[in-house]
Amino acid sequence: MADEMKIGAYICNGCGLGDRLDAGQLETTATRDGKAQICQQHDFLCSEAGVKMIQDDIDNEGVNRVVIAACSRRAKTDAFNFDNVSIHRANLREGVIWVRPDTDDMQETTQEMADDYIRMACAEAKYSKIPEKSGEQGINKNILIVGGGVAGMKAALEASKAGYPCTIVEKSGALGGATAQLYKKIPTKAPYTDPEDNGVDEMIAAVEADSNITVHLNSTTTKIAGAPGRFAADISAESGSTKTKDFGAIVQASGFTPYDANKLPEFAYGKNKDVVTQMELEALAKEANGGAIKRPSDGKEVSSVLFIQCAGQRSKKEGHLEHCSGYCCSASIKQAMYFKDQNPAIDTTVLYTDMRTPGAGGENFYRSGQQKGVIFTKGIASEVVDGASPTVKFKDLILDEDIDLEVDMVVLATGMVPNSGQPTRSELTDQENEDKESEKAGEEVEIRVDVESILNLDYRQGKDVPHMANGFADSHFICFPYETQRTGIYTAGPTRRPMDSYQAMEDAVGAAMRAISEAENAGLGRAAHPRVGDLSFPTFRKEGCTQCKRCTVECPFGAINEDEKGYPIYNESRCRRCGTCMGACPVRVISFENYSVDTVGQQIKAVDIPDEFDEKPRFLVLACENDAYPALDMAAQNRLEYSAFTRIVPVRCLGSTSLSWITDSLNSGFDGIILMGCPSGDNYQCHFVKGSLMAQERMSKVGDTLESLNLEKERVQTFEISITDIHRVPQIINEMAETIEQIGMSPFKF
Amino acid sequence: MSDMNTGMVEKYRNNFLKEVEANVEEGEWVKMCMQCGVCSGSCPLGPHWDHPPQELFMMIRAGKRDEVLESTSMWMCTSCYNCIVRCPRELPITHIMHGLAHYATRLGIEPKNQPTRKFSQLFWDNLAKNGRVNELKLGISLYFMNGFVEGIKTALGMAGIGMGMVKTKRMNPMEILGGHTVKDKKGFQAMIKKAQELEAARVDN
Amino acid sequence: MSDIVATNQTILVVGGGISGMTAALEAAEVGKQVILIEKRPFVGGRVSQLYKYFPKLCFPTCGLEINQRRMNANKNITVLTMSEVTDLQGEAGNYTATVKISPRYVNANCTACGACADAVEAEFENEFNYNMDKHKGAYLPYNMAQPQRYVIDPRMIGTDDAQKAKDACKFDAIDLDMQEETVELKAGAVVWATGWRPYDANKIQPYGYDRIDNVITSVEFERMMDPFGPTGGKLVRPSDGKEAKNVAFIQCAGSRDVNHLRHCSRICCMASLKQSTYVSEKFGDEADVSIYYIDIRAIDRFDDFYQRVQDDPNVKFIKSKVASIVENKENGNPVLNGVDTEGYNRYANEHDLVVLAIGMEPSVDKDTFPIELKVNDEGYIEQDEANGGVFAAGCSSDALDVNRAVQSATASALRAIQVVNRVAQAEG
Repeated sequence: MADEMKIGAYICNGCGLGDRLDAGQLETTATRDGKAQICQQHDFLCSEAGVKMIQDDIDNEGVNRVVIAACSRRAKTDAFNFDNVSIHRANLREGVIWVRPDTDDMQETTQEMADDYIRMACAEAKYSKIPEKSGEQGINKNILIVGGGVAGMKAALEASKAGYPCTIVEKSGALGGATAQLYKKIPTKAPYTDPEDNGVDEMIAAVEADSNITVHLNSTTTKIAGAPGRFAADISAESGSTKTKDFGAIVQASGFTPYDANKLPEFAYGKNKDVVTQMELEALAKEANGGAIKRPSDGKEVSSVLFIQCAGQRSKKEGHLEHCSGYCCSASIKQAMYFKDQNPAIDTTVLYTDMRTPGAGGENFYRSGQQKGVIFTKGIASEVVDGASPTVKFKDLILDEDIDLEVDMVVLATGMVPNSGQPTRSELTDQENEDKESEKAGEEVEIRVDVESILNLDYRQGKDVPHMANGFADSHFICFPYETQRTGIYTAGPTRRPMDSYQAMEDAVGAAMRAISEAENAGLGRAAHPRVGDLSFPTFRKEGCTQCKRCTVECPFGAINEDEKGYPIYNESRCRRCGTCMGACPVRVISFENYSVDTVGQQIKAVDIPDEFDEKPRFLVLACENDAYPALDMAAQNRLEYSAFTRIVPVRCLGSTSLSWITDSLNSGFDGIILMGCPSGDNYQCHFVKGSLMAQERMSKVGDTLESLNLEKERVQTFEISITDIHRVPQIINEMAETIEQIGMSPFKF
Repeated sequence: MSDMNTGMVEKYRNNFLKEVEANVEEGEWVKMCMQCGVCSGSCPLGPHWDHPPQELFMMIRAGKRDEVLESTSMWMCTSCYNCIVRCPRELPITHIMHGLAHYATRLGIEPKNQPTRKFSQLFWDNLAKNGRVNELKLGISLYFMNGFVEGIKTALGMAGIGMGMVKTKRMNPMEILGGHTVKDKKGFQAMIKKAQELEAARVDN
Repeated sequence: MSDIVATNQTILVVGGGISGMTAALEAAEVGKQVILIEKRPFVGGRVSQLYKYFPKLCFPTCGLEINQRRMNANKNITVLTMSEVTDLQGEAGNYTATVKISPRYVNANCTACGACADAVEAEFENEFNYNMDKHKGAYLPYNMAQPQRYVIDPRMIGTDDAQKAKDACKFDAIDLDMQEETVELKAGAVVWATGWRPYDANKIQPYGYDRIDNVITSVEFERMMDPFGPTGGKLVRPSDGKEAKNVAFIQCAGSRDVNHLRHCSRICCMASLKQSTYVSEKFGDEADVSIYYIDIRAIDRFDDFYQRVQDDPNVKFIKSKVASIVENKENGNPVLNGVDTEGYNRYANEHDLVVLAIGMEPSVDKDTFPIELKVNDEGYIEQDEANGGVFAAGCSSDALDVNRAVQSATASALRAIQVVNRVAQAEG
């Protein structure tokens, strides 16, 4: 439905704007250049009266594009909050008067800055449509939970309690996962002194009694297609039958596989039967069931046992795990207590380099272990010598001595390897990528790795959630632990990060919350983190598409599939609305209703470029709205000054930068272009994963174009900005101004 | 009492920690140490200990029986209680140190020439006779603790203080003939004897 | 204030730090009515006072910007700053909270233009910077404070400066007669996210925090690094303003200690490792960092960061709990006394600056909760059915790092939603 566009421009005179700027001139600019049909001024636009003035125009005059020429889009959002219209902010306060000195000789350029921002806001208004949800999916309250361990069960129980039906798909023949194998578990509540019952049976009973939870045992998901709100999962049983069910969101709690201790021959594992892993000790403890634990080799009751911590972990050696698994210190204390509780005379020693028992409960448990007589020795084991009884050779770091200790049993505290499935294409090695590229285009691409997929996502970019460091399917973010690179799929438990079963259950409750939230919001067409609530979504002009597949490949979230002919299929609810696809498209056929090549491009074209004799250059700054734009606002808040010739356009992500914006600005006569985005690299900050990186790659190609046009490369520069770079952002702009002064104005001015 | 020593070695064969827990005052606290070293760092006589308290605890746990019991370290403890106040695990370190020293003595393997050990013995012998410390005799035995020549030298050196004490009635030269006793001397000595019996019985368990 | 809508289907979130904000957002974004109560004049809590997070060495305001944007855009959340819950009665599905709202003396007209601050001269101790510097009597708590509204320090009320501030405001935003208000709010469930406070370092007598200038706490050190902090981002000593290149970190200051906090505060090992990178970043090869520890608790994926710091040749690790600190009166250098337990080496080490990795305790004393709650000995709120519809989130539940606090808050939001969904069902 084409809505008849009516632009209302509202100019605020408060906060010094009326003193520093000629509001009359701004009105003329808005109506004459910006084509605003209505234009009004107010001395205090964010006041109740000012807001009412705008609302009246919306209600009675049919204004549906509201241009607010006042403070930054980040300020007064509660006041300037109007339904069913699109709002465009000309940042005259933080963007103009706060960064320019209040002197007579600066008045002219300050006014020019303000006039341009009004033109830009009106241009943006003109080319924006009010986004409406796609209607691709409704609200589907069913949650799919992959993995039936305690994390999966907990997610199901809590989601069900909130009114959301769940389906658990469990690969093995029973629920309970790794925790079911534990004789007892680390205590979860005060006074934290003794091992607790593992609680799995009660949990399984609760799951089975809950009519809102369906369980599929001996099953896996052989295919998951669709998107949040309309995931279609094929659940296949070992017996061969397959059911397809629809879900709103997915929780992946696929747990972990214990590290293969056969990789530790130095500890005589495999050779000496009395060298066991922590999981194997749990089995022995279960067998003993409160009685004496017996050696596997000869059935003798264990009278002395030594635990080697960090076995095959925290190590850069080949075949070892680099990470720490977090729970094994407490687990060894617990297991030492199995022995001590049964017979205090049993010698138990824990050999560690750092005892990791954090938090309120942790230290109590450590003290309780000591109370029961468990000995803690700081030392490093170099070898376990095979024999009738194993002998541990270690260096005691406190006494600075080498010691050989013969014990009845050695327990290796080995670590967790997450069951996170297959790596995505971007994680493959160069060789694997090469192998793939030599395959015919358009063919079904199989990623040749010998790991089974957990989810079997029918996504072009890979069957599982991308891995972060050490193979864990985590989100990479500290503040947003659940936001993986796959919208609507939330990992929980050791799949995401090494943890004990209590933390895994808590984690699962959080993942369930996210899944519920996404199921609800996807149904309403609303985007997920970070552009929460955004109704816009990408569409493309099929006639112009060349099937180059750049959008499908570059999408950080795997939101785009391909049809048989190679045209992209956009899955709106998988999309985070970053616009990376839009920036990638060489023929510019992709756009969002309120964010397109035009909404930015026309802003650029709306800027009034003085001719070369006026000696007033123009600098374009494309600033990512997440970090760079706030930094610019805060620089203004601190009254740090930058060049009057700056024109800033906020973008959703630097990855959405279309090369046409660069060429358009250069052609229009802009002298310099600065791109500001979030830090990339291993510790990337970009909420959309690799925006800055992609912008830099694209800009490197621009370098060649610039040379062929006889333009200096320095005219286009890309910077990685943190939100705290408050002093740096004005510096960057001012340095560009200096550079342009040196190399001269752009020859493309008229 | 080297018979007792042999007996203990046999009984606790390779488990010195258990031996300490059973026989040393507050010995059951040794396992609670987390090797932080605050006690060692806080001790004002620290530099004079071969092995500071924290290291002793680790040595006990590692089974280094002879090294610990024959060590002069715990004899250096002056009961300042700095360690107990700061210990994050609340170990009664001062008491354990004295406990170790005492146990070593009972086993007969204490370091014979350690000065505070010698002084302790002298003090005890002096006190146990009459239930009161005979300061004159104690002073004299202390001076002569390391031999006759040493004794004369020290006594002459301390003469000034001694005279001062006599003048201010802090010390009575007549004590050389016997000194004060408690009211019920016989009862006192019976009490000491009984306590020693009880202690021996406890240990022999 | 009379226009706040609060019913038995409302979720009350007590505490507007990162945990409270997360819980509020999760609930509001599935359509629940949420009221967020925050004691300070701004949301963001203690993370807004950090310079960087571990292990990514990224900036807290990055995540806060997103969360604050989500909050501003969500009409389901009502934020009450300057507010505290003084009483809480009821049970799951039916709570009544009494909330005391202290006067900010600035109303919603404020545009954060800063005219009042320019007009005022009086200065007061700045709690945001742990009293290491002062702010003006009319001030914005920090650059990104939300709500973006100035505050008048109550200590300025009744003075001439207060009037100057009022006169400078063109929007009639300053109301010097604002009074404390008390409101009663109904709620179905309560998320308790009151966070933590640093343990009082004055109580650790041997470390001389109260007597030696160059002994500071980790939270104070963190503020120093902020370019908008009390030293403008310079790493200098309090006594003489000299650069502090030789820095000692003392772990477990007040934690794992029956004389102070019995628990392990979890974050301090990682915090010191992170802060050692600050020193290295500032001074390169001239940095000389010593970390005195009992156990380095860089747990699970954080261990990578520990390994990275271990590779830094300018950082030493000494397994020792420092016994005492004295001051070298000639140069103000703190001298650390102790024993390196790995092999028994006594030391009396002089440093430019000593940072106590101070422990974390719950910010609400366990006897002062406005409602009876099951709390463990350390003061942390337990997960217990007896707590009814009150759910702990973040550091009120355990000593947690930011990632786990957000995890906890997300989970608590679901628990609160379960309660109000039951109410909704019952009420038809």
